Amino acid sequence: MSEVEFAPPPTPDLESYGPNVAYNRERCYQLAQGFFKDAVRRARERHERQKELKLRLENPELLSRREQIWSHSGKLEAKYLRFLRTKEELSNYTVVKTIGKGYFGEVKLVRKRQDGRVYALKRLFKSEMISKEQLPRVRAERDALAESDSEWVVKLFTTFQDNASLYMLMEFLPGGDLMSMLIKYQIFSEDITRFYTAEIIMAIEAIHNLGYIHRDIKPDNILLDRGGHIKLADFGLSTGFRRDHEKSYYQTLLQRPAPPSGRPQNNRHSVNIDEISLTVSNRAQINEWRRSRRLVAYSSVGTPDYIAPELFSTNGYSFEIDWWSLGTIIYECLVGWPPFAAETFHDTYRKIINWPHTLLFPDDIQLSYNAVHLIRSMINAPDARLGRNGAAEIKNHPFFAGVDFTGLRRIRAPFEPPLTSDVDTSAFPVDDLPQEEGFGDGGGSGPGREGVAVGAEDPEMSLPFLGYTFKRFEKSYTA
Amino acid sequence: MSNLFSGISLSQASQSSTNLSIASKLPPLPASPSLSQTIGMMGSPEEALNAYPLPRPLPVWLNPAYARHIVKGNFMTLSARPKTVDKGEWVAHQVVEHYRNLWNFVRVVFEKEEDGKTICNATSCPRMSAGMNHSYTWLNNRFEPIELPAFEYITLMQRWISGKIDDTKIFPTEASGVSFSYNSQITTTALLTGPDEWVGKRSGFPKDFFSICQTIFLQMFRVYAHLYWAHFTEPFYHLNLEKQLNSCFSHFVLTATALDLLKPQELEPMQPLIDLWAANGTFPPESKAYEYANLKAGTRLLQLGGMA
Repeated sequence: MSEVEFAPPPTPDLESYGPNVAYNRERCYQLAQGFFKDAVRRARERHERQKELKLRLENPELLSRREQIWSHSGKLEAKYLRFLRTKEELSNYTVVKTIGKGYFGEVKLVRKRQDGRVYALKRLFKSEMISKEQLPRVRAERDALAESDSEWVVKLFTTFQDNASLYMLMEFLPGGDLMSMLIKYQIFSEDITRFYTAEIIMAIEAIHNLGYIHRDIKPDNILLDRGGHIKLADFGLSTGFRRDHEKSYYQTLLQRPAPPSGRPQNNRHSVNIDEISLTVSNRAQINEWRRSRRLVAYSSVGTPDYIAPELFSTNGYSFEIDWWSLGTIIYECLVGWPPFAAETFHDTYRKIINWPHTLLFPDDIQLSYNAVHLIRSMINAPDARLGRNGAAEIKNHPFFAGVDFTGLRRIRAPFEPPLTSDVDTSAFPVDDLPQEEGFGDGGGSGPGREGVAVGAEDPEMSLPFLGYTFKRFEKSYTA
Repeated sequence: MSNLFSGISLSQASQSSTNLSIASKLPPLPASPSLSQTIGMMGSPEEALNAYPLPRPLPVWLNPAYARHIVKGNFMTLSARPKTVDKGEWVAHQVVEHYRNLWNFVRVVFEKEEDGKTICNATSCPRMSAGMNHSYTWLNNRFEPIELPAFEYITLMQRWISGKIDDTKIFPTEASGVSFSYNSQITTTALLTGPDEWVGKRSGFPKDFFSICQTIFLQMFRVYAHLYWAHFTEPFYHLNLEKQLNSCFSHFVLTATALDLLKPQELEPMQPLIDLWAANGTFPPESKAYEYANLKAGTRLLQLGGMA
């Protein structure tokens, strides 16, 4: 009898609807799915915090502070709830300075109007990301940062968007990056190199444990915090995330004939560095090269110096590509330039692919046996590369004998940034960057300032960018 | 229609006009006993279900096979207020979240197709209806109830609700203005009680905050009711979105009842679905939504669907 009790369910029929309905359907589906995923995660985290609170309230040693613990918890949760229901927008922030600029976006040092806190705000142009098919990468970065709660990874507080741009509000790390340190100190001693390398190993291990491959480990992406300890940034983008990770892009480049030598390159930033003359005696030239490389970092292409050879091939790659990159960074710290530095990108690609013949150590720089051995184990074929079986085998290399990897953050870093204020940008080479008032028109060397025509709809609701918005519970909010 | 319902049907069908801008000045709704409580006293599951003025065959959304969810587990954890959080703050949070969820579905029936048509329009839905017995009217400037097409009614309502939510005097957003809940065991801060105390007072919410939120929830409920009665198959079932709709609505009902934002008698047009969700375990026995449900009617729906 039951069949006749209910109206017969019709056959689901998506086709009879127009394209807008299909679009709205997809959006509705993702939003509902996303809401519950997010709500369950928040409920779970809230539950954990409440459990912790209960323990603290029951702790006899904290008896006198119970009221404070209670009210602090209530206020913290309430601030988070207000944060969740408030719409983040650009006007909530004032610009202090532009600290990075690239083809796809820019990074500004900003101050939140409401509480005066300082953050780094990364802005990415939507139109560029769509036309250059960068969306999966932005999404990957947002996911990696949102999921990570690691002290080795730059913290993402929230993401928001308007019609033209996506925004990522991140912690401001006032120490600058490893690249600036290398420009300043030219080379590091083995002890200092050991410290930074050990910290980078911990950081790479942390993101690998989350299931992410960084793919773009290089000195510009290794940031230094207030205490001079490192944190990884730029998950697959940086201020200019790069086309160069597309194999086809490399392949086109590689198929091009080598430019005739001896002619000035059509690259005003390129500095003529003769491979053979790359010795300690022309450090000044190396630094010129580094400065020019920083400008390259702001271009759409970026430097290939640290990229593992298998990224250029069609055979695929895995976590060990990040260990190759670390190998090239260790080399650069000790020698003064990356191992495959060349006058043109094209030559660098060729050197990387021919690494068994092109990885050379200069005669006039004394390196310990262990250092050379470590570098050669990491700048190595993927199936023989140190790190392919996990970070532990790198940590066990004799170069790191005696290093307490779990206690790294508790020891004093070799260089502590001398900072004068919470908006001190002396560690950033901001002189090269145009400083416009406020957020400008989107600036940037890349096109796409006009924004994407998405009609009058709420930018948060545009399908390709759905689910991008994220808000983290922040324990350090002052209550 | 049985006499049993006349009192409530009257209050819903004829008197539920709302001029939202003066909603808080309207006399309170009659505190009639909830429908399910009345019916619960009656005999068999079959009689319990037959007591509802439902069309035959029954609507698709009452078929247990189509009342399923995209989420497993206890929805109540999502709406349970953390003990330290001020109630006003929690209510504000829930209002905004449920509003965002609901409009996610409204958008599907409201956005224009290339030919300029919307799925919910003056022809498809000439009245703001939720089944045969419920039709909601809007009050015009002279406080006269007027019938509007659902599209216009919901558009006016959306404008009103977003006007409230975006008003920082009603929904304050300053991080510095937050407070916490009172706990006699722990907090010693003297707390005012009596006529001068209201929900959210210490966090900066205005005196009429809670009644505004109740009105918002009541209006959101009407929209859900319209979506189920008029649009469940067209378009949500066709678009494979019925599980999403069910999950958002059941979460809505659990939250609204747990926080006293909806009264039992206000649930009437959706009561059979609430009964079904109480009977099939969607609403846990400790929830108020379960308490407001008529298990017999829900069990009968499960039987009819071959699931009991």
